[in-house]
Amino acid sequence: MNALVVAVGIGIAFGFALERAGLGDARKLAGQFYGTDFTVLKVMFSAIVTAMLGAYWLGRLGVVDLSQVYVPETWFLPQLAGGAIFGAGFVLAGLCPGTSCVAAATGRGDGALVMLGMFAGVLGSGLAFDAFRGFYESTARGALTLPQLLGVPYGVVVCAVVVMALLAFTIAEKLEARA
Amino acid sequence: MIRRTLAVVALAAGALAAVSGSPFRAERATIDVAQLAHAVAVEEDHVTALELAQWIRDRKPGLRIIDLRTAAEFAEYHVPRAERIAFEQLLGTPFRPTETIVLISDGGAHAAQAWVFLRALGHRDVYFLRGGLGEWLDEVMSPSKPTDLTRYFGGMPRPHANGAVTAETIRRRGC
Repeated sequence: MNALVVAVGIGIAFGFALERAGLGDARKLAGQFYGTDFTVLKVMFSAIVTAMLGAYWLGRLGVVDLSQVYVPETWFLPQLAGGAIFGAGFVLAGLCPGTSCVAAATGRGDGALVMLGMFAGVLGSGLAFDAFRGFYESTARGALTLPQLLGVPYGVVVCAVVVMALLAFTIAEKLEARA
Repeated sequence: MIRRTLAVVALAAGALAAVSGSPFRAERATIDVAQLAHAVAVEEDHVTALELAQWIRDRKPGLRIIDLRTAAEFAEYHVPRAERIAFEQLLGTPFRPTETIVLISDGGAHAAQAWVFLRALGHRDVYFLRGGLGEWLDEVMSPSKPTDLTRYFGGMPRPHANGAVTAETIRRRGC
């Protein structure tokens, strides 16, 4: 029950942050795909880097036991397919699941329609699940992390992701200036 | 100006991370020898194959079965619901506090060693399959007298036929 309360709190904070970043606006999100507005990349990558550095240093300083943090499992091909479907839906609707909720909560009709489509998709997938269960459960890789996959120390991956983010931010700003 | 400062802070924190070692507690693990000895003495360190089969059939909440054998051995046969994790990757594998971990190896020795490591890391609800995969095959999949569990898991009593997977075809090629 406590976990549910915490989840609601985190969800509201997440939605608030998305809204304040302007990610309830489909035009802004679609700009990501047309190379004119990289707000999504900057917001999401900033969040990733912040969480990653926080997790690493809290673990390293002994405040948090990282081995107790749940890592979602990897199913390589199903998640690849899911990512492609997600991306297609994202560019088509101009919103992703989180931002569609934000858009709907701020009174945007397109957000409400995307949410409706999303729930219809969830329902349809659930009803047709037996038809693709084999694929859904294929290519299981367990709880895979980048340090395990690449065979390099955790801290090196952390450093590499930070550098990657800063490079991405720099390139994004230049592209935005040109657009 | 703020963005530049944040970028510098992130870069510094990232660069320091690269040379600060692992954030996992594995390196700081401690062993309470008396506690482990007690767990062994009262047989709280292992499960039998029949107990494990019962857990799987009853869908025991939080059950996580870890197979420590090689990928080829795992592909050939594994206990239902088991996931393969290489022995050397086990210490970096995240487990939730609510999970019940059962370790499986061929004969049981590697699983028992892994049990010590996980207990040293503070995992309480962890067990190894006493006789390894061989016991599973002997007691569940091809016992001399079939049980409900044998039928549930699609096993068959000895003597077997038709090249079915049995303890005689897969067992104890290593630890």
